[in-house]
Amino acid sequence: MTKPKVATDWLAGCSGCHMSLLDIDERIVTLVEVADLRSSPITDLKEPDESGVAVGVLEGGVNNSANEEVALRMRSRCGTLVALGDCAVFGGVPAMRNFFKLEEALRRAYVETESTDGEGKIPSDPELATMTRVRSLQEVVPVDIFVPGCPPSADTIFYVLAELAQGRKPVLTDEKLGWH
Amino acid sequence: MLNVTINNQTIAVSEGTTVLNAARQAGIEIPTLCDHPHLTPFGGCRLCMVEIDGFRTLQSACTIPVSSNMVVRTDTEKIKTARKFVLTLIFSERNHFCPYCQVSGGDCELQNAAYGEGMTNWPLPPNWQPYQVDASHPNFILEHNRCILCRRCIRACSELVGVNTLGVEERGAKTIVIADLNVPLGQSTCVSCGTCIQVCPTGALIDRKSAYLGQEKNLDYQKTICVGCSMGCGIQVVSRNGQAIRIEGDWEAARNEGIICKVGRFTSISDDRERITSPMMRKGGALQPVSWEEALTVAAAHLQDTGKVAALTSTRQPAETLHTFKQLFAGGLVTSFEEGMTTSLASKLAADKGKAFEGSVKDIKNADGFLLFGADLTNQHETAGFYARRKMQNGAPLIVIDSVENTLQHLANCTLSAKSGKELDLIAGLTAAIARLGQSKAEYSGDPIPVMNAAAASTGVSTDLMLEAGFKFASAAHPVIIYEGAKVGSLEMLMALVKLAETAGATLISLKGGANSMAAAQYGLDKAYSPNGHQAAYVVLGDEIPSERLVKNLEKAPFLVVQASHISKLTAMADIVLPVTTWLEQEGHYLSVDGVLQKAEKSLPTAGKDILSNEAVLQNLAQQMKISLNGSWQAELLQRTSPVEIAA
Repeated sequence: MTKPKVATDWLAGCSGCHMSLLDIDERIVTLVEVADLRSSPITDLKEPDESGVAVGVLEGGVNNSANEEVALRMRSRCGTLVALGDCAVFGGVPAMRNFFKLEEALRRAYVETESTDGEGKIPSDPELATMTRVRSLQEVVPVDIFVPGCPPSADTIFYVLAELAQGRKPVLTDEKLGWH
Repeated sequence: MLNVTINNQTIAVSEGTTVLNAARQAGIEIPTLCDHPHLTPFGGCRLCMVEIDGFRTLQSACTIPVSSNMVVRTDTEKIKTARKFVLTLIFSERNHFCPYCQVSGGDCELQNAAYGEGMTNWPLPPNWQPYQVDASHPNFILEHNRCILCRRCIRACSELVGVNTLGVEERGAKTIVIADLNVPLGQSTCVSCGTCIQVCPTGALIDRKSAYLGQEKNLDYQKTICVGCSMGCGIQVVSRNGQAIRIEGDWEAARNEGIICKVGRFTSISDDRERITSPMMRKGGALQPVSWEEALTVAAAHLQDTGKVAALTSTRQPAETLHTFKQLFAGGLVTSFEEGMTTSLASKLAADKGKAFEGSVKDIKNADGFLLFGADLTNQHETAGFYARRKMQNGAPLIVIDSVENTLQHLANCTLSAKSGKELDLIAGLTAAIARLGQSKAEYSGDPIPVMNAAAASTGVSTDLMLEAGFKFASAAHPVIIYEGAKVGSLEMLMALVKLAETAGATLISLKGGANSMAAAQYGLDKAYSPNGHQAAYVVLGDEIPSERLVKNLEKAPFLVVQASHISKLTAMADIVLPVTTWLEQEGHYLSVDGVLQKAEKSLPTAGKDILSNEAVLQNLAQQMKISLNGSWQAELLQRTSPVEIAA
């Protein structure tokens, strides 16, 4: 039997969920025995196989057109999509921005920051992705599995991936739910 | 009793029980958010929905009373779907992003409810409507973005505290909790009791001191009593790594049922004075750290002739310590800082009568008419003020008699203010007014009219006002007179108050000042401080802040020994300073305003290895001075006739 393929990527997140994934430590060997870990931001292969993967994992919310593109590509190439961590599930910390106007947030970040010396400037290169309101993943693409937590614990991530790799749907209850 | 079947389990409950409470009695859990055991049911959050046979729609279990043979289900798919939907709506209404909230991770009832339903997400995007955060209050922050509009804070402010500062404005999703007519909390009529923080189910009310210092699972909890005044309220000290971070009212304490005041909740642990960590002795004009042995030896040498020692103690110390203190310095002038100001007249009257004449805190709670005589129920003994305000909002009258502006005067039905020194006439006039109205509950001899007229002439208070106040007060079924012991002035005045109480059929109760003033009085530590050729002074200051009066009194002491927990003006003057524990670091018994003996528990570890409890210091000193201590503190507490019945 061929091992199910797993691909991951990150959007508007802090990469903490992927760090938590690495925190499964030596269990990654066990995981490799049951799953074929393909693309991820922390491996050489960056994009999920065009031929498709069984499980796609996304960290982070969707805050611009580039994130949107990554989310749509992952959704189109994966069987089961996992929203990993609070940003992907709810919008998380980046979504705090939604309580302000986009322009206010950009001005604070690029012009008014204490460390800005001289004239600050809001980047406006046409090649840059277009910014949007921060959305949870499910506002952009249908999501199959939600794994809340900031970040979800390594144990939870291992459980979710191990279950999916073995063709089962993980059920998150009690301590597996991410206590922040 | 009514039979009700919940999830196929039949139990009998009394009439009027809500479905929610019936389920709890049957051991069946129904999730709730707006429900609180000490508040009236509200039915606002809709989380406790249940299916009841014969009802077309789901019903809220917290508000619907059981009826005979009612059949209830709490676990059907329909209910579970409804709960998730309710939680989804609540989550999507405001900013419920857990990662940056101080209660997330176990202390949030909303998060717990969602996890309890197995929710991993909510399908509706949030509203993204920001609300201004109200950070105008010195002790806590009102974060509207996390508010779920359960109105627990509002009900607590009204039903438990009787202050009614909090309310709501607007409707629907725009509804917002406001103080008064939408003013910042810090400028409102808020009395800073913090009960709202204690009942808030989410992180909407943030305690500035303890926020982000840990969740319930990382904290230590110790139940004890507050020693801020003589009310003896039950509290819970919340600490982490030996540091007190928060104080909560103890819901299980029968005396106060969870309600405490600003002094108990905030002032008592906002102490930033410098601690004394080792014994110190004056050498070459300056205080130098010394060993306990040296300090005690030198102190004992100066204090050995106890007949020439003037000794003063704080009334914040437990009865055990007061007893040891009294025995140790029995030969000399021995008294408390308060010098019996609040208690000595009452003690004298009790001795004359040979019995107690005052009522209990329960009488204040059950009263339906209040007369304050010089009692400030805002800055001290504030929970008594809350009990009164609870009843006043239901129409109980408040009569204020005070020589200065009373802190509850703005709520009073009648304020009687006599010309200076004429309070006695005023009380006689008011007593006569009640007799004149035919409302006297006791024998009134003589003609009341001339008494009233004479009182009006001397006090400047009109007879009409006396009659109005007398009528309102004496019409109550359970009136209570709360008087400030320190403002009575003379035994005649106290006897006039007793007569007024008898005439109006009222219970009399006095405010006793410090946490253990009553015990100090029972031990006879209520004499005036008048040193006369005393060679040394010994002060058990403990954690109290010395008053200007105390510092002035001790300026002339030839040799001064102070046992204190913090640096103060008094320790700076002392020749020997002995480091002691604070109220939270020691244990012992306290006699409340109404004679109830309660034990304060040690709630924090001692702050330093050289710090001893106030009791231990006195014991060590006795040993050094070769004075044997005997007698039981408990038995001696009962020897003197007390103004209140002592339940020891």
